[in-house]
This record gives sequence, structure tokens and C-alpha cells, in this order.
Amino acid sequence: MDFSIDHETRLLLETVKRFVKTELQPLEADLDRSGTLPPETARAIFEKSKALGLYGMNMPAKLGGAGLNAVDMCLVEEQTGQTSDILVRRAFGNVYEVLLACDGARIARWLLPAVTGERVCSIAITEPGAGSDAAGIKTQARRDGDGWRLNGQKHFISDGEFSDFFVVSAVTDPDAGARGISLFLVDKQTPGFTVGRNQPMMGLRGTSHVELFFEDVALGSENLLGAEGRGLRLALETLGRIRLAHIGARSVGMAARILGLMTEHARARRQFGQPIGDFQMIQSMLADSAIEINAARLMILNTAWEIDQGLDPREKISMAKTYGAETYCRVADRAVQLFGGLGYCQDLPIERFYRDSRITRIYDGTSEIHRTVIARGLLKDGPDFIARH
Amino acid sequence: MKVLVPVKRVIDYNVKVRVKADQTGVELANVKMSMNPFDEIAIEEAIRMKEAGKAEEVIAVSIGPQQAQETIRTALAMGADRGVHVLHDGVVEPLAVAKMLKAIVEKEGPTVVILGKQAIDDDCNQTGQMLSALLGWSQATFASKIEVGDGELTVTREVDAGLETIKVKTPAIVTTDLRLNEPRYASLPNIMKAKKKPIEAMSPADLGVDPTPRLATLKVVEPAKRAGGVKVADVAELVSKLKNEAKVI
Ligand SMILES: Cc1cc2nc3c(=O)[nH]c(=O)nc-3n(C[C@H](O)[C@H](O)[C@H](O)COP(=O)(O)OP(=O)(O)OC[C@H]3O[C@@H](n4cnc5c(N)ncnc54)[C@H](O)[C@@H]3O)c2cc1C
Ligand SMILES: Cc1cc2nc3c(=O)[nH]c(=O)nc-3n(C[C@H](O)[C@H](O)[C@H](O)COP(=O)(O)OP(=O)(O)OC[C@H]3O[C@@H](n4cnc5c(N)ncnc54)[C@H](O)[C@@H]3O)c2cc1C
Repeated sequence: MDFSIDHETRLLLETVKRFVKTELQPLEADLDRSGTLPPETARAIFEKSKALGLYGMNMPAKLGGAGLNAVDMCLVEEQTGQTSDILVRRAFGNVYEVLLACDGARIARWLLPAVTGERVCSIAITEPGAGSDAAGIKTQARRDGDGWRLNGQKHFISDGEFSDFFVVSAVTDPDAGARGISLFLVDKQTPGFTVGRNQPMMGLRGTSHVELFFEDVALGSENLLGAEGRGLRLALETLGRIRLAHIGARSVGMAARILGLMTEHARARRQFGQPIGDFQMIQSMLADSAIEINAARLMILNTAWEIDQGLDPREKISMAKTYGAETYCRVADRAVQLFGGLGYCQDLPIERFYRDSRITRIYDGTSEIHRTVIARGLLKDGPDFIARH
Repeated sequence: MKVLVPVKRVIDYNVKVRVKADQTGVELANVKMSMNPFDEIAIEEAIRMKEAGKAEEVIAVSIGPQQAQETIRTALAMGADRGVHVLHDGVVEPLAVAKMLKAIVEKEGPTVVILGKQAIDDDCNQTGQMLSALLGWSQATFASKIEVGDGELTVTREVDAGLETIKVKTPAIVTTDLRLNEPRYASLPNIMKAKKKPIEAMSPADLGVDPTPRLATLKVVEPAKRAGGVKVADVAELVSKLKNEAKVI
């Protein structure tokens, strides 16, 4: 088993790491305090990153992306993850792979501008009445001549204030259950479509999370993404890789950054005449964090490798997402403890990491839902998928 | 004009260096290696000369083991045009490096050679000066600013007393100081392009140079731990301690 990383990838990781450290991390504290990223700053980091070819790296090269495979993308996301959500979005773009389902005229209108960063896209699935149960949505698209009429509402939609268009899930056949849901590309300016309130969150300051309302929104046939009735399936197929990279790999990256700060503090902070790193209880916090980060990281990279082999490791994606998120949360919690009062105080970023970490166990499928996926896989096919050979 | 830039593979500046248990040198196994930071500055300056239309080609040269090719690729990813790799395992001292560079200079015919003022592993600060002497070229060391003129360079140097500005005739040797520039990030498209740029391989023998070291390392040890300070009561005690304990006066 060869764990070496080739030189080109290492060069790329150096570039991303340096960019995150010098261009993005210095913006974090102000951003968290004010709750907004000034548009001119957002523009500036976008342009700098773009000039280095770092926007939309997950997208295929023939579309203008970097065409990174899943393993390399996860390695890159370990670096991008070491800063605040909104800075990652503006600098590197969360260009969702579900957009690769665009064909014909949809390519020029939605896919290509998303790859270049000219237009930004959010994914809108969750509704007040349907979160974990994504098939339980009420938003409906009725056939209307050649096109559709969309009615309903969404909430918690990340980056919705900034985004130019949305991939919206809606029921197209109320009698077909999960097979009666389709995805639509909906532009922000479309009449009848309004963006509601920015719903304030515990962390992720600077990223908006909004309500969306659709009142008799007229859509054409071109607004349908993928086949009618295949929406949930398409979302599941394409969000897996994103979930692994955005939640798993970024969580591991941030946990590693936090562990670095914990280690420095354990060396430098003296109580009872010695560095607190000399105390075994502090050592156990450090060691447990290192063990879990290493485990999460290997889990993510192995899952990414299986994706690159053309396998469908859905249970492993669930494992890696859950374990990555929970590792990040445990490490952030230990960091607050290890820093003592300073860990709780807003003079240091530790309490922010603690707030920001918490969502990773909830969005992109809660830990409970992912455990359900893993258990179902086990009950159906047994545990062979864990050690495939 | 062509610009030649030697780049050395050294222990990354972030690594906490450890002495080997047998005291023959420092631990290189499992240690991150990178391009010498002063050489990164040299590459950056050469690329800027090219971007400003003052240079046509930037050639990166490295003398070292197989992995030194990575250091060359890093230079190519920053924007150098092609590489020359002199394959050699083991220590090479500044004089041997300067002799090999002289042979390469004679083959390639650059107008300017930009080197780091020193490598952060051995801190010798000799190669540029030796190369200048071997070639009989002018030298401008510790550059913090370089202006390319017609048949000459105007170089601002960082010296103990402040900044000194000198003019040197080309061909010339320049060595870089820290404040010359801020080296760029290798962009993703340039990283991809670097894969296709040529690296010519050769050996010290091809260049007619015997790289056998002339110095023998007796042993390498950690610097002594700093002892805590003491307060002295008066000048007399201070002088007495300097004389009898520190033995410096
Ligand atoms: C900051 C933030 C950003 C978000 N961004 C987006 C976005 O961009 N797009 C989008 O569409 N959505 C987004 N969401 C929504 C997010 O995906 C949902 O919050 C998540 O799926 C959980 O749904 P819910 O909040 O309705 O909780 P619920 O589904 O109501 O869950 C409540 C609790 O019940 C548990 N539970 C539910 N069903 C089961 C079950 N079958 N077995 C065991 N336990 C169960 C859950 O695990 C959880 O603990 C975002 C949410 C937040 C907070
Ligand atoms: C919101 C808030 C309100 C406060 N209010 C008051 C107040 O009103 N009055 C007041 O006087 N103080 C107050 N404090 C201070 C508080 O009591 C201290 O923060 C607390 O005692 C911990 O000390 P420290 O922050 O210096 O952490 P440190 O003592 O530096 O501890 C850092 C870490 O090392 C661990 N550690 C230290 N020594 C050992 C050891 N021997 N063995 C194992 N582990 C060890 C700690 O458990 C901790 O995990 C407040 C702090 C906060 C954050």
C-alpha cells in the first residue's frame, strides 16, 4: 500500500496551505466579530485564488477546473478546511458536482459560470417540515405546458444571500414518494422567488443561512436538472463525494490546526512550576486527539481512493463524515478545556472553533442518519465492505 | 539574456533539526526538505526579470541526489523555463559546487547568475563569491534590489552600515538577501505545466569536476543549552566574573 503523495500534489498543497495561512486566516477574527465579509474583501480573495487556479478544483479539467481526483481533492480540502466557511466558499468555491448533470443549453447557463465563479450556487433541499427526511418535502413543481410551476419553501440554505442560483428539490409526482422528487435550477431573479430572513446561527459567522419562498414560480423545461423523478437519487449520488471532502476532510484539517495550537499551549503554559504538557491528563487530551485525527484521516483517504477506483463506498462515506465531524467536535472541546479560561474567552479563536465545529454533526446528514446508513448496509450485506479486497 | 539560478535542496526551515545519535551530522530521514529560501528569492527575481522583458530564459540548476529534481520542478512550477540536474549523492562543498556551476555557465552562456547568499543548512555564504572568482566576473552580494541596465546591473546591497548601491558590469554574479522580494506561490496551471518542462541530467564527471570533499567532519553536536542569568551587585563583581568565570577579558 503506497501512501506517498506525488510531487505535483505536494506543490499544490504548499500553495493552498500558504494561501489559507497568509490570505484567509488573518481575516477570521474580524469576520466572526462583525458577522459579515465585506464584498470588496470577498472579491479580492476570489480574484487572488482564481489567478492561482485554485477555484473549483474539484471540477473536470475540460470545464476549466483542476480535475483533481477524490484523494487529491481530500488532501486539498484538509488545507482549505483550516479556515472559516465563508472564506473557503469565496476563495475556492463550493462548486457542487450535482451540476455536472447539466446538459445542452444548461451547460452554458449554469454549469460553466459556476466553475469559473462568475455565478455561485447553493443547494436547497431542507424545509421547515423536512430535514433528515429529505423525501418528506412539501415544495411542489406542477407541470404547466412545457414548463413548471414551483410552490413551497426551504430554510437553512447556506450562502443563500450571495448565491445567484439554487438547486431546489421539489415533488413532481406526489404519488411516487422518493421517486417522485426532481431537482430544479432556479435563478434568483425569477418572479415569485424571494429570499427570506438570514437565520442566525451559533457559528459559521459570515455565511448566510436563509429561508427561500416560491410562489407560483414559472420555470421552463430547461430548469429541470437530471431526469424527472430522479432528483433524490441524483442528489445522493453526487453529494457523497462532496460530503467526504467538505465535511470529512475539512474537519480533519481544522482539527489538526487546533491540535497544533493545543500542543503549543501545552508546551508554553506553566502551572505548578511546570509546563501543563507534563501533566498526564493533558497528555491524554493531546494523544487522543492525535489518534482520532489520524484515524479519521486514513478513513477519509481510503474512502476517496475507493471512489477513484469507481466503487460506491456509501457506507464508508457515512463513516468518514460522521467520524471526521465527531473528531473535530471532540478536539475542539478538548482545546477549550486545555486552554482553560482562555479557551472560553473570545480573545483567542478556540471558542470560535468550538462553535464552528458543532454544525458538522448535523448538516449534510446528521450523525444519526449516517449511522442508520452504515447499520442498514451491515444488516443487508454484512461487514465485508469495511475491508474490501 | 539568459539567467541561471542554482537551487539547493535543504531541510525545510520549519523543521526542528536534530543531531544524529552517532554525531556524524543531522537527521535527514523522515525530514521535510524544501528549496533553500534564498534560492526561492533568486528564482523569483529571475522570473520577474523575464516578466519585465529583461530576460529571455530562466534556467534552474541543482546539484544533489535524485530528489533534487523535485527542487528543480518547484522552480519550474514557479516559472523557470528548464532545469539542469547534476546527480550527486553526499556532501558537496562550496568550491566543488562553484566549479560545477562554472562548467555549466560556460556551456549555457548566461548573462547573470543569481544565487542565494547562503544555504540555510551549512550557512557557508561562499558559492557565489567563489563562482565570481573562478569566472572572473563582477559580483554583487546580499542584493535587496536589482535593476537591469544596458550591459550593467545596479544593485542595492544590505551591508552592516545600511544600504549600499553599486553598479556592476555584466556578465555578473548576484547573491540574494531576504528583502529582495517575496517569492510567489506556484499556481495550479504552472504546477501542471512544470511536468512537461525539460530537465537535463548530468554527473560531476561530465562537468570535469571531482566533488570529493576536502573537509572532514569530526563531529556534530547540539549547541550548549543556555544557562540562566545572574544579577551582579556592582561593577567590580561583573569584571571579576568576566575575567575569572567567563574568561572573556
Ligand atoms: C448552518 C446550517 C447550514 C445548512 N445548510 C443547508 C443547505 O445549504 N442546504 C440544505 O438543503 N440544508 C441545509 N441545512 C439543513 C441541514 O441539512 C439539516 O438541518 C439537517 O439535515 C437536519 O435536519 P433538521 O434540522 O430538520 O433536523 P431533524 O431532521 O428534525 O432531526 C432532529 C433530530 O432527530 C434525529 N433524527 C431524525 N430522523 C432520525 C432517524 N430516522 N433516526 C434517528 N434519528 C433521527 C436527527 O439526527 C436529529 O438529531 C443547514 C443547516 C444548518 C444548521
Ligand atoms: C467566564 C469566566 C469567569 C471567571 N470568573 C472568575 C472570577 O470571578 N474570579 C476569579 O478569580 N477567576 C475567574 N475565572 C478564572 C477561572 O477560575 C480560571 O480560568 C480557571 O481556574 C482555570 O485557570 P486557567 O484559565 O489559568 O487555566 P490553567 O490553569 O492554565 O489550566 C489549563 C489546563 O491545564 C490543566 N491543568 C492545570 N494544572 C494541572 C494539573 N496539575 N494537573 C492536570 N491538569 C492541570 C487545567 O485543568 C486546564 O485544562 C473565570 C474564568 C472564566 C473563563
